[in-house]
Amino acid sequence: MICCKECIDLLYDYIEGSLSQDTSKSLEEHFEECPPCIAFLNTYKSTTTLCRETLNQIKIPDEVRHTLQSFLKEQKKQKEKK
Amino acid sequence: MSFTQQKEDKEIEEALVRDLQAGDVEAYDKIAELYQKKIYALSFNLLRNQMDAQDVTQEVLLTLFRKINTFQGKSAFSSWVYRITLNSSYMKLRSKKKEPNVSIDELLPSFNSAGFQQEKIQDWSENTESLLFDNETREVINKAVGLLPEKEKVVFLLRDVEGLSTEKVGEILDLTIPAVKSRLHRARLFLRKKLSGYFEEYNSQKGDI
Repeated sequence: MICCKECIDLLYDYIEGSLSQDTSKSLEEHFEECPPCIAFLNTYKSTTTLCRETLNQIKIPDEVRHTLQSFLKEQKKQKEKK
Repeated sequence: MSFTQQKEDKEIEEALVRDLQAGDVEAYDKIAELYQKKIYALSFNLLRNQMDAQDVTQEVLLTLFRKINTFQGKSAFSSWVYRITLNSSYMKLRSKKKEPNVSIDELLPSFNSAGFQQEKIQDWSENTESLLFDNETREVINKAVGLLPEKEKVVFLLRDVEGLSTEKVGEILDLTIPAVKSRLHRARLFLRKKLSGYFEEYNSQKGDI
Protein backbone atom coordinates (compact mmCIF):
# COMPACT_ATOMS: atom_id res chain seq x y z
CA MET A 1 0.00 0.00 0.00
CA ILE A 2 1.50 3.34 -0.97
CA CYS A 3 1.51 6.36 1.37
CA CYS A 4 0.45 9.96 0.70
CA LYS A 5 4.00 11.07 0.02
CA GLU A 6 4.49 8.48 -2.70
CA CYS A 7 1.03 9.29 -4.02
CA ILE A 8 1.90 12.96 -4.48
CA ASP A 9 5.25 12.12 -6.04
CA LEU A 10 3.39 10.02 -8.60
CA LEU A 11 0.68 12.58 -9.43
CA TYR A 12 2.53 14.10 -12.37
CA ASP A 13 2.99 10.79 -14.18
CA TYR A 14 -0.49 9.65 -13.19
CA ILE A 15 -2.08 12.65 -14.91
CA GLU A 16 0.16 12.18 -17.96
CA GLY A 17 -0.95 8.56 -18.06
CA SER A 18 2.64 7.36 -18.03
CA LEU A 19 2.51 5.08 -14.97
CA SER A 20 2.63 1.32 -15.32
CA GLN A 21 -0.69 -0.46 -14.87
CA ASP A 22 0.36 -1.85 -11.50
CA THR A 23 1.48 1.49 -10.09
CA SER A 24 -1.65 3.14 -11.41
CA LYS A 25 -3.74 0.51 -9.70
CA SER A 26 -2.04 0.91 -6.32
CA LEU A 27 -2.42 4.66 -6.63
CA GLU A 28 -6.12 4.31 -7.29
CA GLU A 29 -6.42 1.98 -4.28
CA HIS A 30 -4.80 4.68 -2.20
CA PHE A 31 -7.29 7.27 -3.51
CA GLU A 32 -10.20 5.06 -2.52
CA GLU A 33 -9.07 5.13 1.08
CA CYS A 34 -7.69 8.63 1.27
CA PRO A 35 -10.07 11.56 0.61
CA PRO A 36 -7.32 14.15 1.32
CA CYS A 37 -5.29 12.77 -1.57
CA ILE A 38 -8.31 12.93 -3.87
CA ALA A 39 -8.76 16.55 -2.81
CA PHE A 40 -5.08 17.07 -3.52
CA LEU A 41 -5.36 15.47 -6.98
CA ASN A 42 -8.41 17.58 -7.87
CA THR A 43 -6.88 20.83 -6.71
CA TYR A 44 -3.53 19.99 -8.37
CA LYS A 45 -5.38 19.56 -11.68
CA SER A 46 -7.48 22.69 -11.14
CA THR A 47 -4.36 24.73 -10.42
CA THR A 48 -2.93 23.94 -13.83
CA THR A 49 -6.20 24.70 -15.62
CA LEU A 50 -6.81 27.95 -13.75
CA CYS A 51 -3.29 29.23 -14.30
CA ARG A 52 -3.28 28.28 -17.96
CA GLU A 53 -6.64 29.91 -18.66
CA THR A 54 -5.66 33.06 -16.81
CA LEU A 55 -2.21 33.49 -18.29
CA ASN A 56 -3.40 32.68 -21.79
CA GLN A 57 -5.79 35.61 -21.74
CA ILE A 58 -2.87 37.88 -22.58
CA LYS A 59 -3.36 39.71 -25.84
CA ILE A 60 -1.09 42.22 -27.48
CA PRO A 61 -2.57 45.64 -26.61
CA ASP A 62 -3.50 47.78 -29.66
CA GLU A 63 -0.85 50.41 -29.00
CA VAL A 64 1.85 47.74 -28.77
CA ARG A 65 0.58 46.16 -31.99
CA HIS A 66 0.81 49.53 -33.76
CA THR A 67 4.32 50.13 -32.47
CA LEU A 68 5.37 46.70 -33.67
CA GLN A 69 3.81 47.33 -37.09
CA SER A 70 5.70 50.56 -37.63
CA PHE A 71 8.84 48.91 -36.31
CA LEU A 72 8.48 46.15 -38.91
CA LYS A 73 7.85 48.67 -41.69
CA GLU A 74 10.99 50.53 -40.70
CA GLN A 75 13.05 47.34 -40.65
CA LYS A 76 11.80 46.34 -44.08
CA LYS A 77 12.63 49.79 -45.48
CA GLN A 78 16.16 49.62 -44.08
CA LYS A 79 16.66 46.16 -45.48
CA GLU A 80 15.41 47.16 -48.94
CA LYS A 81 17.79 50.14 -49.02
CA LYS A 82 20.79 47.91 -48.57
CA MET B 1 -1.85 18.98 -31.71
CA SER B 2 -2.19 16.26 -34.34
CA PHE B 3 0.76 14.71 -36.09
CA THR B 4 -0.21 16.18 -39.49
CA GLN B 5 -0.61 19.61 -37.93
CA GLN B 6 2.85 19.33 -36.38
CA LYS B 7 4.29 18.27 -39.72
CA GLU B 8 2.62 21.18 -41.51
CA ASP B 9 3.89 23.65 -38.92
CA LYS B 10 7.38 22.30 -39.33
CA GLU B 11 7.21 22.71 -43.11
CA ILE B 12 5.91 26.27 -42.78
CA GLU B 13 8.72 27.07 -40.36
CA GLU B 14 11.38 25.62 -42.62
CA ALA B 15 10.11 27.51 -45.66
CA LEU B 16 10.07 30.71 -43.63
CA VAL B 17 13.63 30.23 -42.49
CA ARG B 18 14.75 29.63 -46.10
CA ASP B 19 12.97 32.81 -47.25
CA LEU B 20 14.52 34.84 -44.47
CA GLN B 21 17.97 33.49 -45.10
CA ALA B 22 17.56 34.32 -48.78
CA GLY B 23 16.87 37.91 -47.76
CA ASP B 24 13.15 37.94 -48.58
CA VAL B 25 11.74 41.00 -46.82
CA GLU B 26 8.16 39.77 -47.02
CA ALA B 27 9.16 36.99 -44.62
CA TYR B 28 9.40 39.66 -41.88
CA ASP B 29 5.63 40.02 -41.81
CA LYS B 30 5.10 36.28 -41.78
CA ILE B 31 7.51 35.86 -38.88
CA ALA B 32 5.79 38.63 -36.96
CA GLU B 33 2.38 37.16 -37.67
CA LEU B 34 3.43 33.70 -36.52
CA TYR B 35 5.48 34.55 -33.46
CA GLN B 36 4.84 38.00 -32.08
CA LYS B 37 1.93 36.94 -29.90
CA LYS B 38 3.93 34.05 -28.43
CA ILE B 39 6.97 36.26 -27.88
CA TYR B 40 4.88 39.00 -26.30
CA ALA B 41 2.88 36.64 -24.05
CA LEU B 42 5.94 34.78 -22.76
CA SER B 43 7.91 37.94 -22.08
CA PHE B 44 4.87 39.59 -20.49
CA ASN B 45 4.36 36.61 -18.19
CA LEU B 46 8.00 36.82 -17.15
CA LEU B 47 8.22 40.60 -16.83
CA ARG B 48 4.63 41.61 -15.95
CA ASN B 49 5.02 44.93 -17.68
CA GLN B 50 3.64 46.05 -21.04
CA MET B 51 6.49 48.37 -22.02
CA ASP B 52 9.14 45.79 -21.13
CA ALA B 53 7.32 43.06 -23.04
CA GLN B 54 7.04 45.39 -26.05
CA ASP B 55 10.79 46.12 -25.91
CA VAL B 56 11.59 42.43 -25.68
CA THR B 57 9.27 41.59 -28.60
CA GLN B 58 10.98 44.20 -30.80
CA GLU B 59 14.40 43.04 -29.75
CA VAL B 60 13.57 39.41 -30.46
CA LEU B 61 12.11 40.18 -33.90
CA LEU B 62 15.20 42.21 -34.71
CA THR B 63 17.48 39.39 -33.61
CA LEU B 64 15.51 36.94 -35.75
CA PHE B 65 15.98 39.15 -38.83
CA ARG B 66 19.62 39.96 -38.23
CA LYS B 67 20.89 36.64 -36.94
CA ILE B 68 18.90 34.33 -39.17
CA ASN B 69 22.10 33.20 -40.86
CA THR B 70 23.48 31.94 -37.57
CA PHE B 71 20.48 29.62 -37.18
CA GLN B 72 21.78 26.23 -38.18
CA GLY B 73 18.66 24.15 -37.85
CA LYS B 74 20.05 21.89 -35.15
CA SER B 75 16.89 22.46 -33.14
CA ALA B 76 13.45 23.57 -34.30
CA PHE B 77 13.20 27.20 -35.38
CA SER B 78 10.49 27.82 -32.78
CA SER B 79 12.83 26.54 -30.05
CA TRP B 80 15.37 29.09 -31.22
CA VAL B 81 12.72 31.82 -31.05
CA TYR B 82 11.75 30.81 -27.51
CA ARG B 83 15.40 30.75 -26.42
CA ILE B 84 16.05 34.24 -27.78
CA THR B 85 12.86 35.44 -26.07
CA LEU B 86 13.97 33.98 -22.75
CA ASN B 87 17.47 35.46 -23.00
CA SER B 88 16.13 38.84 -23.88
CA SER B 89 13.56 38.72 -21.03
CA TYR B 90 16.20 37.68 -18.51
CA MET B 91 18.48 40.53 -19.59
CA LYS B 92 15.61 42.89 -18.96
CA LEU B 93 14.84 41.28 -15.60
CA ARG B 94 18.43 41.58 -14.43
CA SER B 95 18.46 45.29 -15.19
CA LYS B 96 15.56 45.73 -12.75
CA LYS B 97 15.47 45.59 -9.02
CA LYS B 98 15.31 42.01 -7.87
CA GLU B 99 12.37 40.77 -5.86
CA PRO B 100 13.38 38.66 -2.87
CA ASN B 101 13.36 34.98 -3.74
CA VAL B 102 10.77 32.77 -2.12
CA SER B 103 11.89 29.32 -1.11
CA ILE B 104 9.82 26.78 -2.94
CA ASP B 105 10.51 24.06 -0.39
CA GLU B 106 8.52 25.77 2.33
CA LEU B 107 5.44 25.48 0.19
CA LEU B 108 5.78 21.85 -0.77
CA PRO B 109 3.50 19.34 0.99
CA SER B 110 4.66 18.03 4.34
CA PHE B 111 4.28 14.49 5.62
CA ASN B 112 4.58 12.73 8.95
CA SER B 113 7.04 9.88 9.49
CA ALA B 114 4.53 7.35 8.18
CA GLY B 115 4.23 9.33 4.94
CA PHE B 116 0.74 10.71 5.59
CA GLN B 117 -0.18 14.28 4.75
CA GLN B 118 0.15 16.56 7.72
CA GLU B 119 -2.08 19.40 6.72
CA LYS B 120 -5.80 19.39 6.19
CA ILE B 121 -6.52 19.29 2.47
CA GLN B 122 -9.70 20.95 1.27
CA ASP B 123 -11.10 20.25 -2.15
CA TRP B 124 -11.79 23.68 -3.62
CA SER B 125 -11.61 22.45 -7.22
CA GLU B 126 -15.35 22.58 -7.90
CA ASN B 127 -16.86 25.73 -9.38
CA THR B 128 -13.55 27.51 -9.73
CA GLU B 129 -14.18 27.87 -13.47
CA SER B 130 -16.82 30.48 -12.74
CA LEU B 131 -14.20 32.58 -10.96
CA LEU B 132 -11.88 32.63 -13.95
CA PHE B 133 -12.92 36.02 -15.22
CA ASP B 134 -13.05 37.54 -11.80
CA ASN B 135 -10.43 40.28 -11.43
CA GLU B 136 -9.46 39.29 -7.91
CA THR B 137 -8.89 35.66 -8.92
CA ARG B 138 -6.79 36.76 -11.88
CA GLU B 139 -4.75 38.97 -9.62
CA VAL B 140 -4.17 36.14 -7.13
CA ILE B 141 -3.09 33.77 -9.91
CA ASN B 142 -0.75 36.31 -11.53
CA LYS B 143 0.81 37.07 -8.20
CA ALA B 144 1.30 33.40 -7.36
CA VAL B 145 2.99 32.74 -10.71
CA GLY B 146 5.08 35.87 -10.20
CA LEU B 147 6.39 34.41 -6.93
CA LEU B 148 7.65 31.21 -8.55
CA PRO B 149 11.44 31.00 -8.66
CA GLU B 150 12.78 31.60 -12.20
CA LYS B 151 13.84 28.02 -12.87
CA GLU B 152 10.40 26.62 -12.10
CA LYS B 153 8.53 29.55 -13.60
CA VAL B 154 10.00 29.22 -17.07
CA VAL B 155 9.23 25.50 -17.24
CA PHE B 156 5.69 26.16 -16.05
CA LEU B 157 5.13 28.92 -18.63
CA LEU B 158 6.45 26.89 -21.55
CA ARG B 159 4.84 23.56 -20.65
CA ASP B 160 1.57 24.36 -18.91
CA VAL B 161 0.76 27.81 -20.30
CA GLU B 162 2.20 27.60 -23.83
CA GLY B 163 1.31 23.91 -24.00
CA LEU B 164 4.65 22.78 -25.45
CA SER B 165 5.68 19.14 -25.06
CA THR B 166 8.05 18.05 -22.30
CA GLU B 167 10.62 17.15 -24.99
CA LYS B 168 10.41 20.58 -26.59
CA VAL B 169 10.80 22.35 -23.25
CA GLY B 170 13.86 20.20 -22.61
CA GLU B 171 15.28 21.23 -25.99
CA ILE B 172 14.67 24.95 -25.38
CA LEU B 173 16.13 24.97 -21.88
CA ASP B 174 18.75 22.32 -22.47
CA LEU B 175 17.32 20.15 -19.68
CA THR B 176 16.75 16.41 -19.44
CA ILE B 177 13.15 15.16 -19.49
CA PRO B 178 13.25 14.15 -15.77
CA ALA B 179 14.54 17.63 -14.90
CA VAL B 180 11.67 19.27 -16.82
CA LYS B 181 9.13 17.00 -15.11
CA SER B 182 10.55 17.60 -11.67
CA ARG B 183 10.58 21.40 -12.05
CA LEU B 184 7.08 21.41 -13.44
CA HIS B 185 5.77 19.24 -10.61
CA ARG B 186 7.40 21.54 -8.04
CA ALA B 187 5.90 24.58 -9.78
CA ARG B 188 2.43 23.04 -9.73
CA LEU B 189 2.76 22.10 -6.05
CA PHE B 190 3.87 25.62 -5.19
CA LEU B 191 1.00 27.19 -7.13
CA ARG B 192 -1.54 24.75 -5.71
CA LYS B 193 -0.51 25.74 -2.22
CA LYS B 194 -0.68 29.44 -3.03
CA LEU B 195 -4.11 29.14 -4.65
CA SER B 196 -5.39 26.91 -1.84
CA GLY B 197 -5.04 29.75 0.64
CA TYR B 198 -7.20 31.96 -1.53
CA PHE B 199 -9.88 29.47 -2.58
CA GLU B 200 -10.28 27.95 0.88
CA GLU B 201 -10.92 31.39 2.29
CA TYR B 202 -13.26 32.20 -0.59
CA ASN B 203 -15.27 29.03 0.05
CA SER B 204 -15.48 29.56 3.80
CA GLN B 205 -16.72 33.13 3.27
CA LYS B 206 -19.32 31.89 0.84
CA GLY B 207 -20.38 29.34 3.46
CA ASP B 208 -20.90 32.10 6.02
CA ILE B 209 -23.45 33.96 3.95
